[in-house]
Amino acid sequence: MNLLMMFVAAIFVQNYVLYYFLGICPFLGVSKKIDSAVSMGMAVTFVMTITAVVSWMINHWILIPYKLDYLQIVAFILVIASLVQLVEMFIRKISPPLYQALGIYLPLITTNCAIMGLALLASLKNFSFLETVIYGTGSGLGFTLAIVLMAGIREQLDLADVPEPLKGAGIALIVAGIMALAFTGFSGMIN
Amino acid sequence: MSTKSLSAEYLKGLWDENPVFRQLLGMCPVLAVTNAVINGIAMGLAASFVLILSSVVVASIKKLIPTQVRIASYIVVIATFVTVADRFMAAYFPPISKALGPYIPLIVVNCIILGRQEAFSSRNSVGRSFIDALGMSTGFVLALLVLSSIREILGAGTFLGMQVMGSWFKPWIIMILPAGAFITLGILLGIALLVEQKTRERRAS
Amino acid sequence: MNLSVRMVVVLTAVGLISGGLLSVVNLLTAERIELNRLKEIEDAITQVVPGTVSSQKLYEEDKFTVYASKDASGQELGYAVYASGTGFQDIIVLMFGTDPAIETINSLTILEQKETPGLGAKITDQQAFLRYWKGKDIRQPLTLRKPAVGSPEELGATEVNTITGATISSDKVMGVVNLSLERLRQIKQEGKLASGDGHVN
Repeated sequence: MNLLMMFVAAIFVQNYVLYYFLGICPFLGVSKKIDSAVSMGMAVTFVMTITAVVSWMINHWILIPYKLDYLQIVAFILVIASLVQLVEMFIRKISPPLYQALGIYLPLITTNCAIMGLALLASLKNFSFLETVIYGTGSGLGFTLAIVLMAGIREQLDLADVPEPLKGAGIALIVAGIMALAFTGFSGMIN
Repeated sequence: MSTKSLSAEYLKGLWDENPVFRQLLGMCPVLAVTNAVINGIAMGLAASFVLILSSVVVASIKKLIPTQVRIASYIVVIATFVTVADRFMAAYFPPISKALGPYIPLIVVNCIILGRQEAFSSRNSVGRSFIDALGMSTGFVLALLVLSSIREILGAGTFLGMQVMGSWFKPWIIMILPAGAFITLGILLGIALLVEQKTRERRAS
Repeated sequence: MNLSVRMVVVLTAVGLISGGLLSVVNLLTAERIELNRLKEIEDAITQVVPGTVSSQKLYEEDKFTVYASKDASGQELGYAVYASGTGFQDIIVLMFGTDPAIETINSLTILEQKETPGLGAKITDQQAFLRYWKGKDIRQPLTLRKPAVGSPEELGATEVNTITGATISSDKVMGVVNLSLERLRQIKQEGKLASGDGHVN
């Protein structure tokens, strides 16, 4: 598949939140303000791109050659957990302002299923190295798009008269449903 | 240390601390696999298997594990049981395994499971952790069952693949689509909160 | 015991026990998982080339595999082609059978799809879609009949029916088949489809 097409598809058509339902926890939890949603999205995109690279290497240089594919789940989750820690330490050393912006979101990412989902889906879809990287970045941007749009809507929603029991997660999920419906309009545009 | 009676320890998972409706945990699989009842049940059982066994193992080895590496150890324990469940389903129930795709391996990052280890099994006895895990699993399976029943009946007119709606019924395709998952769960959360408020008011008066 | 030593010991022990347990589980299930995979392919081949008794993998590349299918006497019945492509939203995996001369399609089956339920997902439906593919002339590329017709007799020899409301899904399936046929002829011309040493799958 054309790499550009794949990149676009990962953002709009097979959106991680609205099509695969991955990363719902941060999508609901960190979408109350646009600026925190942007930071979260950036942090996820960053970690997803790195995860794509590392999980591909683990899969193709260790697990497949030594026929250890049954250890895939254990290997991926350990790598992701330590990777997030490393990224956190690295950013704190290199760029304190960036750490200020992203820092508190990084630990949350370890249990973000979007990251694990990326490693598993890329391996399931049998992507080449370049495809995996493009796919990782595209998926991260797709997540960012969804969470930022959601935050924009929720900022407006604060002014609306929502029935008491639906306040919070309930109305957020219904809004997500309408967004998912709108996003199906992008389907069929990939070749 | 929890001091509840054992039956209360079990029952809290069904409603008061229901992982999906009350704690809003483990939403990804709840949304992703509930387009058919059979998928919902399979996912519920697989997650229960992982949760119960991980809780028992964590509760039995909790004294041996230094606190600094406890999360890493829990993750390895959970990932091990997830792999067991994944391989077992691929070997004996290939169609379901295919339908659930990456969502079985993704149980490993389900916050319910790690959450229970951290909040409960690492501080309580093996027996109590088992009861707690059993209660949480029942609550999780119930949530999946409710959501998948609504979606399958309205979205396809069937329940477990059997036709339950008459020929007059035109399936609401949106219920099977991702949009239907979000909207149904949103409304169910609202209903759960409403019920909770009403019971609290009644108790107070 | 020193704390850091204890940390290393505990983590190593947990890792070793987990690894050991998983290799046992792997030994117990690997064979069955592989058998399930092969059986799925064999069943599909029998479905798209009726009368198949044995089959043999002739050629394999990314997203495209060719099997030769034979009857009990070893007579070649045709090719079964396993191919995949992108559908409306996600991947479509399909298999179709041709005669040995690659002139007609025996039949088509969809192995994996995530099209819209109730619309595009009808590509797996015999009545709505698959029956219109039987016996199609494939010497020219297939074309899509729009708007849809109600019975196979109304279609031209190289036309396949559209699913009403799911033109894109129908078109994507046809695209995968046309592309695979082109590739099949190409590798046949290059002589890569000669039956090998008679290794039976």
